[in-house]
Amino acid sequence: MRLIVTKRVKPLKFGGIIIPFLSIVVGIFLATIALYGLAHVPPLLVYSAIGQSLISPQMLQTFVMLTILGVALIIPFNAAVWNIGAEGQIIWGMIMSAFIGLTVAVRYIIVSPSDLPKYTNMPGMFVLPTPTVSGAYAVEALTMNPGTAICLMLIVAGIAGAVWALIAGLMRAYLDIDEVATTLIMNYIAYYAYNYIVYGPLQGITISTSGFGLSNALHPALRFSRISTATTATWEGVALMIAIFAIAWFVLRQTTFGLRLRILGSNPQVLRAAGINVRKYIVLALTISGAIAGLVGTILFAGNLYQLIKIKTITTPPTHNIGYTAILVSWLSMLDIRGVPIAAYIVASLFQAGINLQSSLGGVSGGSAMISSGALTYVLIGFVLTTFTVLRVFAEYSIKVVREGR
Amino acid sequence: MQGEVTVLVKDLVKRFPGVLALDHVRFELRKGEIHALLGENGAGKTTFVKILYGVYVPDSGEIYINGKRVIFTSPIDAIRHGISLVSQIPQLIGSLTISENIILGLEKFGMMASIRKVENYIREESEEVGIKVDPNTEVWKLSYTQKQLVELLRAVMLGAKVLMLDEAITFLPIREKRKFYKFMRKFASQGGSVILITHKIPEALEVADRISVLRRGRYVGTVETRTASIDDVRKMMFGERSAQITYERLPTSTPDEKVVLDVKDLWVMGDYGAFSVKGVKLQVRAGEVLGIAGVAGNGQLELVQAIMGLRKVSKGRIAILANGDLKDVTNKGTGKVRSLGTGYIPDEPLKFGVSMENNIEENLAMLPAIAKGIIKWRQVRGLANRLINEFKVVTPSSKTPVKLLSGGNIMKVLVARELSIAKKLLVAYNPTRALDEVTAVMVRKIIKEKVLKERLAVLLVSEDLDEIFQVSDTIAVMNSGRIVKTFPAEKAEREQVEKLMVM
Repeated sequence: MRLIVTKRVKPLKFGGIIIPFLSIVVGIFLATIALYGLAHVPPLLVYSAIGQSLISPQMLQTFVMLTILGVALIIPFNAAVWNIGAEGQIIWGMIMSAFIGLTVAVRYIIVSPSDLPKYTNMPGMFVLPTPTVSGAYAVEALTMNPGTAICLMLIVAGIAGAVWALIAGLMRAYLDIDEVATTLIMNYIAYYAYNYIVYGPLQGITISTSGFGLSNALHPALRFSRISTATTATWEGVALMIAIFAIAWFVLRQTTFGLRLRILGSNPQVLRAAGINVRKYIVLALTISGAIAGLVGTILFAGNLYQLIKIKTITTPPTHNIGYTAILVSWLSMLDIRGVPIAAYIVASLFQAGINLQSSLGGVSGGSAMISSGALTYVLIGFVLTTFTVLRVFAEYSIKVVREGR
Repeated sequence: MQGEVTVLVKDLVKRFPGVLALDHVRFELRKGEIHALLGENGAGKTTFVKILYGVYVPDSGEIYINGKRVIFTSPIDAIRHGISLVSQIPQLIGSLTISENIILGLEKFGMMASIRKVENYIREESEEVGIKVDPNTEVWKLSYTQKQLVELLRAVMLGAKVLMLDEAITFLPIREKRKFYKFMRKFASQGGSVILITHKIPEALEVADRISVLRRGRYVGTVETRTASIDDVRKMMFGERSAQITYERLPTSTPDEKVVLDVKDLWVMGDYGAFSVKGVKLQVRAGEVLGIAGVAGNGQLELVQAIMGLRKVSKGRIAILANGDLKDVTNKGTGKVRSLGTGYIPDEPLKFGVSMENNIEENLAMLPAIAKGIIKWRQVRGLANRLINEFKVVTPSSKTPVKLLSGGNIMKVLVARELSIAKKLLVAYNPTRALDEVTAVMVRKIIKEKVLKERLAVLLVSEDLDEIFQVSDTIAVMNSGRIVKTFPAEKAEREQVEKLMVM
């Protein structure tokens, strides 16, 4: 008797759906065992936390951002161009959105405390909560139509993300410098640039922000509108997600550009012989990816944070490392764009589950409350992805038993 | 010669999606014999040896080696049983040297093998095989022929008792080939066995002891070469269609005055930093096939790559007809050359011609000449199906990934595509390599028809003199980077051409 493992000529039918689904079920099961073994987290609590998070409106914003980022990453990944720099591109998107939202789209009127009541209820005016260093108050007044300002924020953020990725793209295409390293390193450059900016050009003018590594708060008219009070997700974010997904799907499947990107991933030589400028495609793949990631910067800034807050430690940027998590999403989708929303939904739910779990653990016995929601989240995601990696073997290989003899 | 049976295969069945690749195939290989395996494109030859080599696992059937049933699930199993495979595509690692590549598979040197020892060993062995290689050269610098010779050397040094050659020597220059024939004989007389896959019947008749034939996945029969004639084997391979095989000259075309491709004093560097193309001057007119004959490695490849914009021109000028005038395309890039209506059948088609992971439709839509911007898939599908029918491509559908097709069928897809987009000029390097005789003749006829009817200009580089003589209107002989002589094909004599090639 002998086990024979052979690569399937044709992948398993529905493998793209069954495998991720099975890995979630099995992965969660294994994670609960591990959590119970290590920290005595009651399995039922884990299941209820996950169950809740699957239908929790709170995960929607994470889902929206992960879907957009998953799409952003899948474009270069299909071309075997590895954009690990979504983090940096998001950061630049945030910075540039803040630049538009806090300087170009508004002007600041300094008013003395006695004049303040005049402005508090004036339409289009936003009074910053704390006074400025001189004791006067600052009021943000719109200089343009809020719709125009939001569009401008998105455009500039997209350009910023694109330019940041373009640098790595040019180095890869023309100097053959590995984009994995450059995009990754540039994330950290972006983090430090961000910190420089919140203490410098974009630092706030009030006593609670100036010098504290905080920018002014975004004018409420420029903030994205929340879908409901139960969620941080915004209409603008959802609309962007749908538009980006649809356009990317169309480009990847229905245009020569998308087709050639996919071919670039497996055989660049054939494109050269076909007369296609491969370098241009490498640069474009990264640039488009960066542009989309830049838009996520706006969604984060104008949808959730409304303010730039300094990065205290390099592991806790305002992005919550979503740019890295998105890499998981794109792999979980098996680099198929149709799988991205599903993968994003799963990962977003697990994220939320980690948060839910931690809050419900607060009420349970002492020790386990020490576990941070981040740790819980990563245990869950880690198990699911490991199971996924193992199960994927079955999608690509078939196993059968054969008798050997004389 | 009634030796003992080394390999016995019974009722081998292998199914691929939509295709029954092998249908109860049997096969017998005796000790000390050279056994040729023949069959038209897609007959299942490659699948068969890949199963023997452990690359594919059969759906059913039995394999016996020296009377013992074996199951191979990876090439390591096969190599342990003394079976080696050399295929059409070199599998060496480009960034390593020849000795480093060879040491990878050589268990006999152990983990701590010294490169020096291996180098000496290679020098000794390679002389025996009749191959001259410097073991310190990095593999990426080698030509196709040299890479193949290293592959063969490697297989022999792995201690193979059964050597399987899947079209491995088909494209070697005749001199190297002859040397290798001699080596194969010696290998067989020392108790080794060879399975030689080829689609060239004369080659099989020349070196093999027996010939087995597959047709559409079925075993047709085995004949002794001593008693078989070329016609017998052709009938086994093609059945009635063997009547279509001809090496007669196709009708000569009278070229127009209009020059489509004009190359002047072209100098192109090879990979070694020395000039491979030295001052080539040539012209191809509309309605003309210019055949370039030559032994592989005399600058033909570099010439073709330079014309296609894939290799830098150091000196000289390449011009292609555009809007009635010759337009300079020297170093202007492949896209420019292509956009002027140029089709290209490259050397190493699986690497430069098609994308294996993608399906036939995608392999068509990839070219700017077929699809621009938004792809009209229905139109592409129409074209794909038309080409599949016209070239009799064996495939389940136009949506089948190219990697699932047989080597010959992949080549058909490529040739069909390039012919369909060649509006003015076709540059072809060994366009019928890997095609069986019936298909090769068909392709040549189609090319010639386009030349005659649509006034296509064709630059045909081929190492196959039969092909050169069959389709060319003008024959140029290339030797050491120069065009040594150009003849009107009707006046060219084979002997004279051969002499000029090796001069």
